[in-house]
Amino acid sequence: MTKTIVGLLLMLALGLVGCTDSMLFEAKDAKSTGIDFTNTLRETEELNILDYLYFYNGGGVAIGDINNDSLPDIFFTGNQVKNKLYLNKGNLTFQDISEMAGVEGKSSWNTGTVMADVNGDGFLDIYVCAVVGINGFNGFNELYINNGDNTFTERAAEYGVDFDSYSSNATFFDYDLDGDLDMYLLNHAVHTQNSYGDVSLRNKRTYETGDKLLRNDNGKFIDVSEQAGIYGGLNAYGLGVAVSDFNLDGYPDLYVGNDFHEDDYYYLNNGDGTFTESLKHFFGHSSRFSMGSDVADINNDGRPDLISLDMLPEKETVLKASEGDDNVQIQKIRIKEFGYHYQFTRNMLYINQPDGHFMETALLSGVAATDWSWSALFGDYDQDGHQDLFVANGIKKRPNDLDFVKFVSNDQIQKKIDNTKLVDNKALDLMPNGAEHNYIFKGGTDITFKDKSGEWMSKDTIISGASAYGDLDGDGDLDLVTNNLNKKASILINTTDRKTNYLKLKFKHKAPNTFGIGTKVYSYHQGVVQFKELFPSKGFQASSEPIIHFGYGDTNVVDSLKIIWPNKTAQTLTKIKTNQTLLVQPEHTSPYAYPKKSKMHNLLFTKVEDNLGMDFMHVEDNYTDFIREKLMPYKASDRGPAMAIGDLNNDGKDDIFFGGSKRIPSKIYVQQDSSFVSVVLPTIANDSIKEAVAAGIADFNADGLKDLFVASGGADYFGKAAPLLDDLYLQNGTTFDQMPVPPSFENGSVVRPFDYDSDGDMDVFVGNHTVTGQFGQASNSYLLQNHQGSFSIDDTFKGNELGMVTDAIWDDFDKDGLIDLIVVGEWMSPKLFKNTPSGFQERQPLNLNGLWQTLLPFDVDQDGDTDYILGNWGTNSKFTASVDQPLKMLYGDFDSNGQTETITLIEKNGAYYPLEGLDELSSQLVFLRKKFKSYQSFAGQSIDNILDEARLNKGKTLSVTELRSGFLRNNGGSFTFVPFNNNLQVAPIMAAVCYDFDHDGTEEVLIGGNYFGVKPYQGRFDSFPGALLKSEKNVILGNMLGLDFTQKSIRHLATITLNHQPYLIAVFNNDKTQVYKINTK
Amino acid sequence: MKLTSRFLVLFTATACFISCSKQTTPIVIHPDDFHRSVDRVTEIMIHDIFSPPVASRIYAYPNIAAYEILAQNSVEYQSISNSLTGLSPIPRIPENEPVNYELAALIAHMDLSKQLIFSEDRIEAYRDSLYTIWKKQNQKEFDASKTYGLSVAQHISSWMNKDNYKQTRTMPKFSIDSDDPSRWQPTPPAYMSGIEPHWSKIRPFVIDSSNQFKPTPPPEFSMEPESEFYKELKEVYDISNEITAKGDDSEEVAIAKFWDCNPYVSVTRGHLMFATKKITPGAHWIGITKIAAQKTNANVMETVHAYTKTSIAIADAFISCWDEKYRSNLIRPETLINQHIDDSWQPVLQTPPFPEYTSGHSVVSGAAATALTSIFGDNFAFDDDTEVPYGLPVRSFESFNKAADEAAISRMYGGIHYRAAVEVGVKQGRDLGAFVVANLKTKANKDLVKND
Repeated sequence: MTKTIVGLLLMLALGLVGCTDSMLFEAKDAKSTGIDFTNTLRETEELNILDYLYFYNGGGVAIGDINNDSLPDIFFTGNQVKNKLYLNKGNLTFQDISEMAGVEGKSSWNTGTVMADVNGDGFLDIYVCAVVGINGFNGFNELYINNGDNTFTERAAEYGVDFDSYSSNATFFDYDLDGDLDMYLLNHAVHTQNSYGDVSLRNKRTYETGDKLLRNDNGKFIDVSEQAGIYGGLNAYGLGVAVSDFNLDGYPDLYVGNDFHEDDYYYLNNGDGTFTESLKHFFGHSSRFSMGSDVADINNDGRPDLISLDMLPEKETVLKASEGDDNVQIQKIRIKEFGYHYQFTRNMLYINQPDGHFMETALLSGVAATDWSWSALFGDYDQDGHQDLFVANGIKKRPNDLDFVKFVSNDQIQKKIDNTKLVDNKALDLMPNGAEHNYIFKGGTDITFKDKSGEWMSKDTIISGASAYGDLDGDGDLDLVTNNLNKKASILINTTDRKTNYLKLKFKHKAPNTFGIGTKVYSYHQGVVQFKELFPSKGFQASSEPIIHFGYGDTNVVDSLKIIWPNKTAQTLTKIKTNQTLLVQPEHTSPYAYPKKSKMHNLLFTKVEDNLGMDFMHVEDNYTDFIREKLMPYKASDRGPAMAIGDLNNDGKDDIFFGGSKRIPSKIYVQQDSSFVSVVLPTIANDSIKEAVAAGIADFNADGLKDLFVASGGADYFGKAAPLLDDLYLQNGTTFDQMPVPPSFENGSVVRPFDYDSDGDMDVFVGNHTVTGQFGQASNSYLLQNHQGSFSIDDTFKGNELGMVTDAIWDDFDKDGLIDLIVVGEWMSPKLFKNTPSGFQERQPLNLNGLWQTLLPFDVDQDGDTDYILGNWGTNSKFTASVDQPLKMLYGDFDSNGQTETITLIEKNGAYYPLEGLDELSSQLVFLRKKFKSYQSFAGQSIDNILDEARLNKGKTLSVTELRSGFLRNNGGSFTFVPFNNNLQVAPIMAAVCYDFDHDGTEEVLIGGNYFGVKPYQGRFDSFPGALLKSEKNVILGNMLGLDFTQKSIRHLATITLNHQPYLIAVFNNDKTQVYKINTK
Repeated sequence: MKLTSRFLVLFTATACFISCSKQTTPIVIHPDDFHRSVDRVTEIMIHDIFSPPVASRIYAYPNIAAYEILAQNSVEYQSISNSLTGLSPIPRIPENEPVNYELAALIAHMDLSKQLIFSEDRIEAYRDSLYTIWKKQNQKEFDASKTYGLSVAQHISSWMNKDNYKQTRTMPKFSIDSDDPSRWQPTPPAYMSGIEPHWSKIRPFVIDSSNQFKPTPPPEFSMEPESEFYKELKEVYDISNEITAKGDDSEEVAIAKFWDCNPYVSVTRGHLMFATKKITPGAHWIGITKIAAQKTNANVMETVHAYTKTSIAIADAFISCWDEKYRSNLIRPETLINQHIDDSWQPVLQTPPFPEYTSGHSVVSGAAATALTSIFGDNFAFDDDTEVPYGLPVRSFESFNKAADEAAISRMYGGIHYRAAVEVGVKQGRDLGAFVVANLKTKANKDLVKND
């Protein structure tokens, strides 16, 4: 009997534990906390989303201990309602002291807020931003100076910060390291979004809209924006500002997120009171409708990483009903004509690299799509040592709803907007609601995040904007507060409690920067480094509690903490017990020298500035594949140039052939004693109409002189156009004779000469990629057999419809002494053709369909046999693929008009959806416009509901099960695929070369990548810096090696020796060839 | 009354007398039924957002189907299948069937319209309510007319489906990949791709080929201030400044807005985007056709004749104009003015998304006015209330030609065309219109009528 009761109790207790385990965050209601703040919006005929574009951006929130009782208090700003200050009374109860404190505010439209000790008296003051001067808004930005007795006095004018402009937020930080807090004020523009305008607009300075840098001169804030190099703000819709010492030189830098056309700004602090805006140099692309942002070291490399939020929906039903990315031509105009940088509509996660560049991994990391997202807050919410991510989102009305844009808006608002600029609620009601649940992601290893929405936090239906974290209940973990539209503020209490261990750091710093803003902390435990900086203004229109918080899982003692104070002094604490709050102040500090970035020493590669005379610059012609085949998933026209190395002039030194692009001749560089010299060979130079995309050098007619085989392509010429034909150029001693080869009208991709039949003459494998205008069609590739200098197609080799071939090698994979052929390509599996005396036999398929780009034999696992490096598409794109849910492409003439279409499909929750939206699909398949009368009716429809079976049967389905690059591990003659880790999956890997680069007696593989031939919805795969693979586990990224591969799309890597010195040659599409000296240590 | 009609009525009445057990009434089709059907198509086109050339095609085919049915029963008018490229004669009316020509014509008109637009439900609802009424009035007559009307619609449809429209859908987009400074570029705010770059490949109706009325080339592109081209560019800028200074009430601004006829003017306010939609230039002239038909109390045959002739002239005008547009690929004034003269200048009207030369509205207005003049005569004064539903006032004109001249010049006031595009364009349209009028043999030879 008693046993039963005990048992029941135990079960009950376990059940309870189980329940609390399931939700990491528990929402507290207003009744228990006393926090009843609601940012209630009153939509009127005079003021709504049509009159003010940021009507739904919401208020602000700040967490900080205003009375120094160790309990963090909460301050909310309301757009139209009064601000509220809640005093933390302990036990998660709060007292509304707003009125008594005198902080309710007088401006008509409040926005962001910051708590900071502006006057340096040890008490947190409150700064409140406001939009003033449009829509009848009045007032000014208010600075509430803390009187130390729970009351405040508004003294903005006295301090020089009483701006009456269009402010969204501000941040206080000491940019000139003079010991006091300066301020950056974020304002938004009112410039028309109806036309782009040139980027030079950013130089026009306007008081109302321009961001401002304000230097604190003894308590007076002086506008130094112009002299400091801050842009003027005519077209900058500033919504996010993040402060961090991104380049780790001791001086805090800024990342400013701008909405709409204007680029984000990456202001690097020069340390002399000025900043240099450097976005284009260090970021390959950025978020387009940039909103909030946050900074944290998410990959534990001691460098601050960054997220910038945008508004890409995750759900198909919203995604396909909302305006998406630009089309490829508009993007081109914006970049080429108006000078903007690449911007794409999704969250961007930027991983800070040692050379200052950022690797953008949001798609790979799983945080790209969180819908209409305002605030990002990194924090180790489960205290496992990895940074997690909270995203607050939602919009009351989706103004970019396509049905509203195209169909609904017309009658309802046209006359009103034309005549009165007013709109009634009826029109507003026609826009769909954009309440989407907030997202919480659990950070993991290898730069990945896992969506824990609904597990860590219940999925809400509220619209949340500004958010902040703080340890409200004093139990050491991070709680969250969000300011919501028309709903009570959310108080989300973290229930991690002491299940995992933490450290909470507060700082007592020399006045006037009493809270130590800008302090950095490196934490070391069990070989793991964690890095944080104290810049409490983060997320969106908010500031968090000025603390630094680390999680440690089950680690009880932290090996050491290195505290670096803003004044470049440091102190180290060792053997610190976890689960405590430390109050740290400068003690026994020593000067801290930031490592100098300007020179990285002992790099493996040094760029040769004169390129050894090899001034080859590949210029891709202007042709855009998507103009002709509008639904192609990526281009086929940008696969050049060709490159081939061989001794063309028979002087014992290797020369180099570079393929030309359309109407630009190919070039040959002949090796001399100390450089290369370009020579003009009329036969080849005259053949400039073609696009030479692959080439091979060999003595094809066995006369002792090297000849040249060139495969043409370019995917522009079509049908039986002569410029598609491949060429053999036979050297006759003084010049080259052009000889015919069996006609091939496919777009070539690879030329591999080899005497496969061992008859003493050079045969050649010619791999082809695509047939112009028929993307998806498997191309024929050819094995050309040499008969005394003339070629015929070897019919015993089954090259018909081999696939979209990209690369091939001759290698004896079965070690039987006969050299075999391995071919890779897109939408196909690597194919192994065994060379036998009776012809080639394809080995059992590997069932490894990928978008393979390159192939290289190399013993990766160092077990003595040959593995094969396989460059693939990577996982940092909107393609997704697995064996169970492959990426699919439908190929066929689905509307029977004589022209084929491709439809690319990805799997989501068990169904397949096209990547393209209704506009794009129906531009080719017009009948879809009859079938789907609205975007809503199309959104969320899987392909089976879009095309009926009869139509689907008209096409073929191609598939890809593996997008990751990796290698084929040779297990005694059988092969298994081993993927690389994630920092090699950020972009397609396009080229590889092996060589003993570090002269240690064993070869390494150098790989390069990046690819730009995709539409804006995919973005731009631009941030892979290259990598050196020493072994399976030993990978060094190119930015540690002196390589400059970021933002360039590589096609070939090769080594060449000149005057006994080895060099690396890197050939890019549409860029200048690079030559690196391979340094000896 | 014509003999055949009288016979038909007699026949129908007799048939009915013999077979109908319940009370039936003959179905009477009024010209307004056709006006309503055309108006319905216009409304749906606005909703579905068809570009001006595509809209012109949507008007033409249903009108031709209705015309061909009616002409069989007309003394004055005759089949135009000989005048239209590729059209074979429509099926004859089956004998001994109580077909009401006018009803069959309307049914064919609605059916083809439905095939051509996207939002079929919007036509179906309208059609079904009419069907119900007619069925109630006279089921036999309705059934016979429907069967016949749909068979003609089917005939016209298979002709229509060979006009290369479907193939042009998957032809390449207009490429802006060029360094040519005179080449058209997408314009603010939506920077839409050039629409219908292959419209010249659509089979024309009456003209021999899309380049039959190839206009003189535009003034040679030059940004030298002394050049003809630059002067025309500057003229657009100066006129625009002058009339906007006068304000929205100025006559020129009123003219520009009245003839805007842009089916999709996109507006962006922050993240809020919407479109104000209006009828196309073709639809405006179809509206004028209705005004003229109603003013002259035209009967069904005359009404459908007017619609048919005008819509064919308009459709061929678009083919001809688009041929030139994507031959000269001329850049719009807005792009050049923003690049070279004033980076904040905006035209009074939103620049439509296709090359500048020649002005589509000018060509179409010239062609439509010529067609209408041939039907209703010159100096036909009318009050144009076509744009009233779109918030614009009524404008009065002394003649179709004067209206066309105003429509042409409105494009300069609107800041979207240079003078050459307007002046050459309206001439191109008039020449084309005269050819259509001369070669579209709608009326039987008068001598033959006499002999009959």
